[in-house]
Amino acid sequence: MVKHKSVAVILMVVLAMALAPICALAQEKVVKIGALYPMTGRAGIYGLDSVDAAEMAVEEINGKGGVAGYKLELINTDSKAKPDYSVMVAKRYIDQDKVHFLFGVVSSAVGLALTEVSKQNKKIFIGTDHASTQLTVDKFQPYYFRVSNNTFQSMAAGALYLKEMMQTKPWQTMAYIGPDYAYGHDQWNELKYNLDRFGIKYKVVGEYWPKLFAPEYTPFITSILKDKPDVLICGLWGGDSVAFIKQATPYGLFEKTLFCSPDAGGNYEVMSTTGAELPLGLVLSARHHNNWPETPANKDYVAKFFKKTGRYPTYAAEGAYTGILAIAQAVEKVGNPNDTEALVKALEGMKISLPEDPEGFTSYIDPETHQIVQVQAIGVTVANDQFPPAKRMLGNWKIYKAEDLLPPKEYIEPRRKK
Amino acid sequence: MDLSFILVQLLSGLTMATLLFLVASGLTLIFGVGNVFNFAHGSFYMLGAYLAYQAATVWHTDFWTATVAAALGAGVLGMLAESLFLRRIYGRAEEAGFQILLTYSFILVIDDMVKIIWGTEYKSLLRPAGLRGSVQILGETTPTYNLAIIGIGLAVVVVAWLVLTRTRAGKVARASALDREMLSAMGVNVPLTMTLVFGIATALGGFAGALAAPLRSVTPGAGIEVIIDSLIVVVIGGMGNFWGAWLGALILGEVTAFAVILVPEWAVVVSYVVMVLTLIFKPEGLFSHSPLRKV
Repeated sequence: MVKHKSVAVILMVVLAMALAPICALAQEKVVKIGALYPMTGRAGIYGLDSVDAAEMAVEEINGKGGVAGYKLELINTDSKAKPDYSVMVAKRYIDQDKVHFLFGVVSSAVGLALTEVSKQNKKIFIGTDHASTQLTVDKFQPYYFRVSNNTFQSMAAGALYLKEMMQTKPWQTMAYIGPDYAYGHDQWNELKYNLDRFGIKYKVVGEYWPKLFAPEYTPFITSILKDKPDVLICGLWGGDSVAFIKQATPYGLFEKTLFCSPDAGGNYEVMSTTGAELPLGLVLSARHHNNWPETPANKDYVAKFFKKTGRYPTYAAEGAYTGILAIAQAVEKVGNPNDTEALVKALEGMKISLPEDPEGFTSYIDPETHQIVQVQAIGVTVANDQFPPAKRMLGNWKIYKAEDLLPPKEYIEPRRKK
Repeated sequence: MDLSFILVQLLSGLTMATLLFLVASGLTLIFGVGNVFNFAHGSFYMLGAYLAYQAATVWHTDFWTATVAAALGAGVLGMLAESLFLRRIYGRAEEAGFQILLTYSFILVIDDMVKIIWGTEYKSLLRPAGLRGSVQILGETTPTYNLAIIGIGLAVVVVAWLVLTRTRAGKVARASALDREMLSAMGVNVPLTMTLVFGIATALGGFAGALAAPLRSVTPGAGIEVIIDSLIVVVIGGMGNFWGAWLGALILGEVTAFAVILVPEWAVVVSYVVMVLTLIFKPEGLFSHSPLRKV
């Protein structure tokens, strides 16, 4: 009797084990998102923030029961910020893991490599961070979408800021320092293009191209001091911005020239790393700010991120968060994650309400370029210790309308034909 | 270009050169004495920066104590790495290949270790009290901390010269570069010498990292950024040559400083051009007769 009972139990267990995966398959419908964020090296903090924020969005959506009967599932592999390696992982995502979306990427170099994979495999690639305008203009392809500002938008805002400044604090000469790769060169060309477009007269007195992740900027700084530019445009990002600012401060560079870094200079890690050392009055911006706009949605987003991770987010986080929301919204509309063409249609022109949207504006994806269209705010560094360890945050905001920052047709068309 | 500007640019080149030298000197020392090319030398530089951060910001020591702690910490870890791992491959037929693999794996291990302990966020150190300002030289501004770094670099050169030429320890180190078997036959503990030299070299790396920390961003991966430039310095100066490292760093620092003004578009390339020219015309490096190897 006892024997029979135990046999029955074993049989039941075996049956349960055999059936479990089938049941799981039958119940769990999943939207698979294959992310590639760097988790090592200097860009590691951007990758870490992105993954944390994307997971936060996934948890929120799954917590409400998912979308159209599907749960979201995010997988991430360290991209090592290397294009060839990332291409290999992306192909594995598509062939073996059967992902529905490619996702992420900090470096524009990796972004440019992955958009080719996306095009060949007709697999939607949601770009959340990398900013090179080429992805939505020169190298545009229908399966790529970007949900954070590109450098053109940032530089148009920067040019408008400099144009307004002409009224109060006339300036004539300008110098540039930026990393010697696509991202650095794009910013400089786009800033000049926009200044010309807005009819600003200026003279370039110096151009400097340190290599990305260069540890030492001192010789560049002393040379910039010799140029005596009224305005110094800076295209460095992350640890490079930090190192440049730290090395330039004791030279008094920021008292002698107006420092303006409109794309990535105002990212939170610059403030959190330099603390009280960060000079006041630098003109900076970023693709998301922890203290602007002061809407409930933004405050709520920043608080949630802080609660989850114990630190305040860099802008990379909001891009990743947005990417997940966009995917959820598209799947909701189409009803499944498999109909790629319908998903592309759903993403084109999609309106999506985000933490960074000020009162009365909703971000949307431009159907022509697949680039998200957003308001940009430029601020100057002011004392503010509400987001420790930062002792400075941006303030005295100037706000630029989203539509004013888009590349005009004359800019896009000749570049697409090439 | 007026005189005062040339002087300022010379000084900024010199600041760059000194930090380069402090990293490269350790690299060249290990190569000269132990015939080991330590790919992970930059990682000890990075460790030094993090240890200084730990001491100064978390334990609230003053900056100079933190710098000493960083050098000691990097030195001890270097000795552990040498005695536990590198020692096992000395003298093997495949030693060169194993060296590259082993020291490269140190980079990955140290990078991940740093990430686990300190996270991926950038860390930062304040310049030491008393060296936060700047002085006017011929009407141009130069930060006092940069001048201090230049001075410290010179002091290291002098001390190293005294140790290498005037002390028994220095003579043993130079001799072990030349003939380890003979040295061993004469009763010198060669393995211990190697471990100590490795420790001194990594301590120099850690010291450089700590000194550079207030000027740079302390991040995982910072080691990779300095190793290539250090390698260029060592190649220009002559592999394994201590004075060569100093000369190589000076050349690289000043060439970069003036390339930035004269050919800004090509400033980055120029240092490689100098290395290539050296390799073509004097492949053994500018200092071909190593004082380390000359007994």
